[in-house]
Order: sequence, then C-alpha cells, then structure tokens
Amino acid sequence: MLARRSVLVVDSLEETQEVLRTALASRGVEVISARDSSRGWTLARQHQPELVVLDLECDARSPSLAQRLVEEQPNGPPVVLLGKARQPQPPGCSVVGKPYHYAALLRKIEGLLDGTTEPQSCLRCSYSGEITRACGSS
Amino acid sequence: MPSLFVFRGNNQGLRFELEADTLSVGRDTGNDVQLRDTEISRRHAELRRSGKTFVVTDLGSSNGTYVNGQRIESHELANGDEVQMGCTLMLFTCLADESAGDLADKIDIISRQQPGDRSRIVRSISQAEGSRILDSDPGAQASPWLARARSNLQVMYRTALAVSHTLDIDQLLQRIMQLIFEWVEADRGCIMLLHPETGRLEPHVRRDRKGLKRDDRLKISQTILDYVMEHNEGVLTSNAGEDDRWNPAASILQQGVCEAICVPMRGRYNLVGLIYIDTSISPQRVIQQQGATKFTDEHLKLMIAIAHQAALAVEDTRYYSAMVQAERLAAVGQTIATLSHHIKNILQGIRGGSFLIKEGLSRHDEQMVGRGWEFVEKNQDRISNLVMDMLTFSKDREPETAPADLNEVAADVAELMAARARDKGAELVFTPAEGLPLLVFDAEGLHRAILNVVTNAIDACDRPADDAAASDEPCDQENRQSTQTCPGRIEIAVEFDAAERLARVVVSDNGQGIPADEIDQVFSLFVSSKGSRGTGLGLPVSQKILKEHGGQISVTSNPGEGSRFELQIPAIFAESASPTLAR
Repeated sequence: MLARRSVLVVDSLEETQEVLRTALASRGVEVISARDSSRGWTLARQHQPELVVLDLECDARSPSLAQRLVEEQPNGPPVVLLGKARQPQPPGCSVVGKPYHYAALLRKIEGLLDGTTEPQSCLRCSYSGEITRACGSS
Repeated sequence: MPSLFVFRGNNQGLRFELEADTLSVGRDTGNDVQLRDTEISRRHAELRRSGKTFVVTDLGSSNGTYVNGQRIESHELANGDEVQMGCTLMLFTCLADESAGDLADKIDIISRQQPGDRSRIVRSISQAEGSRILDSDPGAQASPWLARARSNLQVMYRTALAVSHTLDIDQLLQRIMQLIFEWVEADRGCIMLLHPETGRLEPHVRRDRKGLKRDDRLKISQTILDYVMEHNEGVLTSNAGEDDRWNPAASILQQGVCEAICVPMRGRYNLVGLIYIDTSISPQRVIQQQGATKFTDEHLKLMIAIAHQAALAVEDTRYYSAMVQAERLAAVGQTIATLSHHIKNILQGIRGGSFLIKEGLSRHDEQMVGRGWEFVEKNQDRISNLVMDMLTFSKDREPETAPADLNEVAADVAELMAARARDKGAELVFTPAEGLPLLVFDAEGLHRAILNVVTNAIDACDRPADDAAASDEPCDQENRQSTQTCPGRIEIAVEFDAAERLARVVVSDNGQGIPADEIDQVFSLFVSSKGSRGTGLGLPVSQKILKEHGGQISVTSNPGEGSRFELQIPAIFAESASPTLAR
C-alpha cells in the first residue's frame, strides 16, 4: 500500500480525473488535478507531486508542460503522457497510447511510484489492456 | 500562398502549400512534396523560391519533369502552369502580382459632389441590347465579306456564352454540337475526348441532322484522326478529287460527295479531344452547284476556334471538378477524424466508469460502484446526443410541425439540465412567457436546439474547482472579471412578441463569454472552444433547426461577463388558439 503520495493529473476530461482520483485514493495516493497545462504547471510547483499524468491534448503550448517539468525541474517527477506523442518526448516521460485501460495505467503509475518501473520506458496499452511492448525513449 | 494541386495521379486531390524557400519533390518519404508514383524518382526535382513564384529544377530524374507538356531542366513557374512528373499532373498556383489591397490604393471612387467629377451619362444600353451587337442590320449595304465576318463573330459570341455556364462536360459538349449544327449544314457530328489516363479517344456526343436515319454508324477514318492529333491541325476532307467533279464518268456523279471537317480541341497546353462533322452531297446537288462544296476554309477556321474554346472550358471544368472532389475528401476526412476523436473520448469515459464498477465490486465499495455507474450513464447520454446531433445535421428534412407549447418545451429542457447545472455549482432559472398561445413548430427539434444552447451555457459557467479556490476576488458586478468567481447562473426565458408575431427563447449565462475573434465561428461545424468536451456540432445543429423553422439564432457576448443566445421563430398560431388568448 502506498502512503501519503501525490499524483498530479492534467486532463481536460473530468472522468479521467475522477476515475484516477477514486482509484488512486483507494491505494492511498492523493490526486490533485488540473484541466489545462498552465494550471498544471502552477500546481506542480505548489504541490511537488511524485508523479504527473498528463494528457497530451492539454499540452499544445510551447514549451510543453512535459518539457518544462523535465527541463526546469531536473529532479522532478516522472511524467506519464496519455495519447499519441507526435515528437520525441524528453527523458523521464512515458507514453501511454489512447484508448488505454485503467488497470494497465494504474499498474504503470504504481510501478513508477514504487520505483519498480523505469521512467524512460515507452508503454503501449492495447485494447485488451495488456502491455504489448516496451521500448526506450527516442 | 503558392501551391501545387495534384489533379491526376495517386495523390489526386492533395494540395501542397509551398511554404519553405526550397522544397524537394520525389517518391521518398524525406521529400517535402512526397508523391506516391512509381514513375517518379526518389529525389525527382527541386522547387526554389524566386520572388513570388518558384523555379522547378529536374534533379536528373529517370522520366523527366514537364511543364505545360514540355520537358524542362529548369523552369520558372507561372500561375496556372501544369507540372507533370511521372503519372502525376499538378497545377501550380500563386498570387497575382497585385493583391486586392494594393489595387485598392490605386483606385478611387469619387462621390458625386466632388468637384473633380464632371462626367455624365450620355447613353445607356441594356445587357440584352448589348448582346445583339453582332446581329445583321437589314438596312445596311454590307459587303458579303462583312456579313460573313459578322456571322462568324456571332457564332463565336454564342460559343463563349455556351461554354461559360456549365460544370458538366457532356452538357457543355452537347451545347457546342448544337451550336455547330445551327451554323453549318452538317449531317452528322461527334465530339471525342482523350481519356486523361489511357490517352484513348472516347466519344462523348453524337448528333445527326433532323430527318437523317439515326441507326447509321458514324465511320471516321483513323488516318484523318491520326493526322489531326499528330499535326495538331484541323482538316477538311472530301472523297472527291478536283478533276472528278467535272468527269461525268466519275463515281461521285452517281454516288454524291462526302465532306468532313475534323478539328483538334487544343487546350492551354495539351490536346483535349476532337470535333468531327461530315455531310453528304447528293449527285443532283453536285450537278446543280457545279461542284461547289458545302464545307469551306472559313468553316474550318471557325471550327478550330470553336474547338479551342470548348477545350478551354473542358479543362476548366476538369480542374474545378478535381478541386471540388479534393474539398469533399478533405471534408469527409475532417468529419471522420473529429467524430472518431469524440467517440474515443466517450469510450474512454465508459471504460473509466466500468473500471470503477469493477474495482468497487471487488472491494465491496458501493460508493465506488455508484460513481462508476454515473460515468457510464453520463457517457451513454453523450453518445446518444452525438448521434442525434449527427442525424439532425445530416438530414435535409422538413420540421415535423404540430401545435405545441413553447413554454413547456423550454421548461422541459430546464428541468432536464437542472441537475447538471447543480453539479457544476450553477443555478438554472426558467422564466416562461405570459400569454403565449399554442404555436405550430417542431417540438422535438426546438427541444434539441434549446438543449444544445443550454448545455453550452452550463459548460461556459463551469470552471475547475482548483481555479475557484485559488481566487480571492469578491463576487461583484462592478468587477467584470470577477464573474469567474461568482456562482454560475443560467437563465432561460421564453418571450412572445404578439405584434411582430415572433417567439423567442433567450438563454443567457454569466460564464466566461466568447472572445471577439471567436464569435463569428461559434456556428461553424466542428469548431468548439470546449476542447475535448465539445463536438462542435451542437450550435450548428441548433442553427439548422431554427433555419428550418424560418427563424434564426443569434449571439452576443462579452468575455468575462457571459453570453446571450436568442433563438427566434415566427409565431404560427395553432387553429385552436389566437394571440389574444392568454394562458
């Protein structure tokens, strides 16, 4: 069981925020959420979460929130990106393709929080919810 | 912006905007302009900006680069040039030298009162009168040459009119052939077009003189066709030699003479097709006219001119059709992409709900199960609304009108949406119209139109709890931006204007408002300011429904203060009600 840990979820869809909040709360993880990347950046600096889950659709600005989190906070939290990454993402970011299964996403989050999963891995969750392949970040 | 539009080949319909100063063209993926054509080299050509246009340079490709049908090594492109590489044919377009903005600085429209303007109208002529410029003047002693010239000009004028207002090639060719038959005494005629890909001649129009047996097959000499295509020249043919006409023993005095004209349809750069006409002269007429022919050099020259006009029109129609097709494909692509995106988000929501139900069941957590079920239901509604909006937008339908109570329809929407507004911390207030009689309208359609607008109003008042908590600004009407911190308020009011015979549903909110530069786009399809939450279908659907009723939807908005949507329909009274009846 994870104790008093926090995850920042940046996603414009309320359902995603709420599902992760409910599921992670039952695992002892606190969720703070933002609907867009600028609010996400503010909350990331305020709360220093241990992990950030970021929907790439909310991260269209340049520089991206993912870049800022990794580059401006060298010892910052690992970032799980949801969606299709159109360009190579900075090290420390994992990509989970959409549509994803929450069970697989939660396993990934738990693994990163526990340190049992490498942050620099790329992960695809297939429709069946299984991890089909893992590859190094390009 | 200069562009290359592919109107033939595997990439047909694609438009390449030429943004960079240097672009590579070829088959490989690394090229700026990548063309899926096995006849094109991996790195085939290069485009380099030169002022407002581009210079195309062949990079030693196997099959060469052609501009307007001519093989080139390097060539400065002009607006409208055809560029061919392999089987791919592209149209180059770029801005004219002077934009409308530049010209506006050079042209002044002087008001009547201005001292410099002393012009007056001396004579005016109507469009109809102007088009009779080439009619023969019975009183004039015109020379035969002048009469013929006038007649020829008249034919060309009518040709220009005939080719100017059709977008259907076969219809266009029918008109051309009809015109030819009105002007020249031909027995039979046909127009053949070269198939753009196979290069084979394909008959498109056949016409016979009235009274002629139509079951005759039209036989055309391959030699003549080859000559016309190879030499790109029109020909006048006859089966009679000059000497035969005066030789009583010759067969033509028994069988008559057959004459034909065959002309190329030469477009801007290429041969588009051929026009062929022929005529038979009976033996009696050969003798009566002492060997005079029906078809003359003048007919041939004019036929060439007509064929050129027709070819230009065929080319334009093809370009236009290719562009329309490209736009259709782009629209279909955008529609599929946008809808897929929304459906994917809805599925993700259902998946989240299902996950919570499963988790809740395994943990015996009823609250979690309930939360999950809420998500499933909410997303069922979303997909249902999406499908209904898609159906409403796609159907070209008449509203199903019947006497109904607009107050009741609007009240139903208010009741339906009250819970959603509450969830967002907003208040929804409904005010019915007084004295509103039963009106004839499509209650289901209006319900959907109002529902879409109210949904947007609630979403406009919605903002993340974290934003609200972060702000300490007071809720003050004086401070416009502070509406962000005020509780959301949505008002639905029904209004009835008996004098103007109009009924309105006004939906106003104190939400974030619409920026001035976005307000013109709110009724555009698939344009949504709600990001992943919006389909961009709601307001276009509402607008369509209102238009179907002969009504309209309008919006006014102030960023930071809120928006006001007015849905107005003409008040058509049900037979059983009158405007004076107060309810």
